[in-house]
Amino acid sequence: MLNTVGVGLWTRDELDRPWVGALAVGAIVLWSLAVTAAYADAARRTPPMLAADLAVALGALLATPLVKADGFDATLAGYWVMSPMFAWAARWGWRGGLAAGLSVGAADLLIRDELTQVTYGNVFLLAIGGPVVGYLVESLQRSAVQRDRAEREAAAAAERARLARAVHDGVLQVLALVQRRGGEAGATDPRLAELGRLAGEQEEALRALIRAQDRVVPPVAVAAGGAAVASVADLAAALATLESPRVVVSLPGGSVLLPEAQVLEVRAAVAACLDNVERHAGPDARAWVLLESLPGAVTVSVRDDGPGIPDGRLARATAEGRLGVTGSIEGRLRDLGGRADLATGSWGTEWTLTLPVSPATSPGGAPTS
Amino acid sequence: MSEQPLRVMVVDDHPMWRDAVERDLAGAGFDVVAVAADGDQAIARFPAARPQVVVLDLQIPGPSGVEVAERVLRHDPSARVLILSASGEQDDVLAAVKAGATGYLVKSASREELIDAVRRTAAGDPVFTPGLAGLVLGEYRRLSDPTPSGPEVPQLTERETEVLRMVATGMSYKQIAERLVLSHRTVQNHVQNTLRKLQLHNRVELTRWAIEQGLEE
Repeated sequence: MLNTVGVGLWTRDELDRPWVGALAVGAIVLWSLAVTAAYADAARRTPPMLAADLAVALGALLATPLVKADGFDATLAGYWVMSPMFAWAARWGWRGGLAAGLSVGAADLLIRDELTQVTYGNVFLLAIGGPVVGYLVESLQRSAVQRDRAEREAAAAAERARLARAVHDGVLQVLALVQRRGGEAGATDPRLAELGRLAGEQEEALRALIRAQDRVVPPVAVAAGGAAVASVADLAAALATLESPRVVVSLPGGSVLLPEAQVLEVRAAVAACLDNVERHAGPDARAWVLLESLPGAVTVSVRDDGPGIPDGRLARATAEGRLGVTGSIEGRLRDLGGRADLATGSWGTEWTLTLPVSPATSPGGAPTS
Repeated sequence: MSEQPLRVMVVDDHPMWRDAVERDLAGAGFDVVAVAADGDQAIARFPAARPQVVVLDLQIPGPSGVEVAERVLRHDPSARVLILSASGEQDDVLAAVKAGATGYLVKSASREELIDAVRRTAAGDPVFTPGLAGLVLGEYRRLSDPTPSGPEVPQLTERETEVLRMVATGMSYKQIAERLVLSHRTVQNHVQNTLRKLQLHNRVELTRWAIEQGLEE
């Protein structure tokens, strides 16, 4: 706008009729102020408003020959014609920018006596600039919309999680209570004992589900591991799903991130240990799973409270070539570069699965980034 | 057993649970000196009731269970806090233990287990579930990873680690004592030490933080 006034003053000797020119520049100044005020509110950026804006610019261009002598360089409006074009680009994207740029360019060409390189350059820049600005505006708007949606979804998920926690806590309380009362009243009425047992099972299942859900690794944490560990998973979350009324799973506080394939293999090995417990120590035997994340290694201990394995039985089984589950557990760990050790005694039987981990998938709780 | 009945306070926002726990404890001969439904009530009623053991649910309205544990223990360091939690959210449990709670039990525990846990907590024995032992082990590993930064980071001795691992795989103190050929009392001391060091570390950290923030005096 100031540029328009300045150039107008500078080139006033080109003017045939200075007063008309001053009037036109004055009108442009007033219009600029009005339109700036009008555009401040998004609701007023209406098609008629924008059309009027462009019409003023075109008018200023077309009026130039009326006030200026033939062979002028600067038009009345000067570079001011870009502002309506940008407004169009902002409102209607690259199409609006192109339309406004082309019409301003066409008007500019129309009033020239001859096509100079400078004029052509200006018109070309207008025609290119409009769509480019429009395109930028469109992608900005798109990413703003996407960001808004992501923020809304994250907020909704957090709220859902908060509500779920409150509901789950209530359900867990009631299930635990039913289990307790059922157990107490079970002495006189076996049906109540059954009810209590069922409630206990459901409580355990819900608790395992909540633990697994709480441990879902956010995608950002996974991405932070870099390209080399594109598919990492949380071993702690995987083991949490093995919890049952007979199996207690003890985990460290954070997540234990490993390549997904390793997580699946270790979980399968632990599941095989638990199957083994049921087969050899009986269906009433209880088992405990402990996950530890050490520097450079991850260990999983699986202990049962069965009678243990009698001396020599394992060695005999190995010698006779019937290793069965034992072999499959050891084999799985060996394939991963780790090992499986078995200890047994009056306190039961304990498998210790050890898996070396590379520093890239750093153990020890929270994912490193 | 002492002549005087054990004074116990029950903090739980779930009325059915609060009544059930209160009845069980009263039935076992304990003196339930106060109950509270939220953190504010618990903190307000604690000084007058002077319980020896606070049976505390972590998911309560008002100041959280963790804060209640911290506040009541600051008021009376000889009191003991036993966490009784339904969902056992790991971070909360760990925070409560660091704040000074010495026992943790999930609500699926039987009445006998609860009564035994209150009795042991009152006697100063730490009451660990395997899950809590796993968490505490993990916390020590986390504190010393990747490198122990200075002498103030608490470390477990080899024996303490061994004992804690056995607790985490469900072994009773008696079984551990047999397996390691130790006395029952020694096993208890080892377990107690693991908690004590963690709580001490927590206090040191809090104090240092306070000094850094210029809140000392």
